[in-house]
Amino acid sequence: MNVIITENLSKTYDGGKEAVKNLTLTLEQGEVFGFLGPNGAGKTTAVKLLNGTVSHTTGSCRVFDIDPMTKPEELHQISGVLTEHAQMYDHMTGLDNLLFFGAVFGLSAGESKTRALGLLEELELFDAKDKRLSTYSTGMRQRLSLARAMIHKPKILFLDEPTSGLDPESILSVNRMIKNLAENEGVTIFLCTHQLRYAQEICCRYGLIDDGIMFANGTLDELRGLVSGGTTVKIKTDTDIHEIQVEDESEIPAIVKRIVNEGGNIYSVSTEKPSLEDVYFALTNKIDPARGGASA
Amino acid sequence: MINSKQAAIIKKDIFAIVSNKQLLTALIIVPLVFTVFFPTIFILIIRFAPDQVNNIEQILNMLPEDMRTGDMQTTIIAFLLDNIMPLFFTIIPILASSIMAASSFVGEKEKRTLETLLYSPLTLTQMFQAKVWASFVISMAVTYASFVIMLIVVEALLLFAFGNMILPGLSWLFILLAVTPAMSLLAITLIVRGSAKAQTMEDSQQRSVFLVLPIMLVIVGQFMGIVLINPWYLLIAGAVLGAIAALLMRGSMKKFTYEALLKR
Repeated sequence: MNVIITENLSKTYDGGKEAVKNLTLTLEQGEVFGFLGPNGAGKTTAVKLLNGTVSHTTGSCRVFDIDPMTKPEELHQISGVLTEHAQMYDHMTGLDNLLFFGAVFGLSAGESKTRALGLLEELELFDAKDKRLSTYSTGMRQRLSLARAMIHKPKILFLDEPTSGLDPESILSVNRMIKNLAENEGVTIFLCTHQLRYAQEICCRYGLIDDGIMFANGTLDELRGLVSGGTTVKIKTDTDIHEIQVEDESEIPAIVKRIVNEGGNIYSVSTEKPSLEDVYFALTNKIDPARGGASA
Repeated sequence: MINSKQAAIIKKDIFAIVSNKQLLTALIIVPLVFTVFFPTIFILIIRFAPDQVNNIEQILNMLPEDMRTGDMQTTIIAFLLDNIMPLFFTIIPILASSIMAASSFVGEKEKRTLETLLYSPLTLTQMFQAKVWASFVISMAVTYASFVIMLIVVEALLLFAFGNMILPGLSWLFILLAVTPAMSLLAITLIVRGSAKAQTMEDSQQRSVFLVLPIMLVIVGQFMGIVLINPWYLLIAGAVLGAIAALLMRGSMKKFTYEALLKR
């Protein structure tokens, strides 16, 4: 089931800045979609368009068959949004913040409390639950915002730079949580980040955006197919470490045989596929300056 | 009329103002000045140093016959209580609702918590209704509490200074039930109308000056040459101002869009 459908969605702000240009995209339920691009690429505007908090200039979009422009409040009941600018209340405790947003999303006091305490435990904030938000560190605030976005058990989560300010351990626990939500609860995740290594760990499909244009989208293997280079084979012999580019892994045995036949001793053979980062930069260089789209 | 989601916002906004020492102090001090400090000074001067009031005779001469019921001092006190104090009193709901509305609307924008609220399952109108209610409730609570305090202080002072009490006239009923709610709504409307453009609470609060200034002029007018206000005119004025505020508020809410509110 496609939960997000956009067609030629564009946004030009009053000052004339074209933040998103002709975005055409579909997302299936339970997908973790990585929307990747540098700061200012148009990721946050896309999140706002998909939630109806900015109006599109042209094109159309539907999220769970709701038009965000005409019924934003209906969509907000089933979506959770985490953005850098969406802050919580400093004078309230972490728990009170979550209880407040639980009530705003229509949860009963009992439901809110159970849900809030569970999320605080899961995000390792339980011990700080009665402290005012003003005493929280950046990472703790970010985790509490994540809990806030999930308080009403949304069907879709829009996470804009969710690991910003988090330490490596917190990133791991947030990743576990996001994967669990997608795999076991069918929650669709629209994740915006410029941290490509992080995205590769968690996403199953990617959209690459720069200057408002989504210039490629697909799974990592599909994106790899768009760039040349294939797989790198590393062979460690008694004299050297050889790095050889192959188009297909079936070429490896012949290479190994040739080295052995020539009298070389092989200590190890490993393969390395291009990372998301490699693919991203390869595509960026390939597409620029024409800025055409590439789709896998 | 108000759903549970809106009630949560109202409760949160009221708690926010009560837990902010700076704003709470402003909410308490200003009404105390108007309802305790000023009347105490008036009553004590008239009781113990009437000669210090230069134009007291002139004021007395300007009063119609039916108002000159008791001795000079009682007449002056009754005049202050029913004609000057109500004017001071109308400033209280304006100030209280300005402080509250500026914190509730522009303060949320300033602290970047408004965006989070905009992702809630409430329409913009429902959200603003909740915020208007929160400002109105606080403003009226401060106003009515001020009236009770003023009544206790003034009557106790009169009893102490003159040995008898002077009960407030009919104008107070209309001031409390019609004029102060209308003034409160007008002040909230002014803040709400400016909330999309205002970037700080201070910017926003300054708008209430447009309401306070005309009242100050009338107060000065009362001392220069008396403008006696018929209590029934107060009722009509309250109803008209309330209707204007409601219409302006409705117009403002229709103009709001997420984009305008998020603009920084």
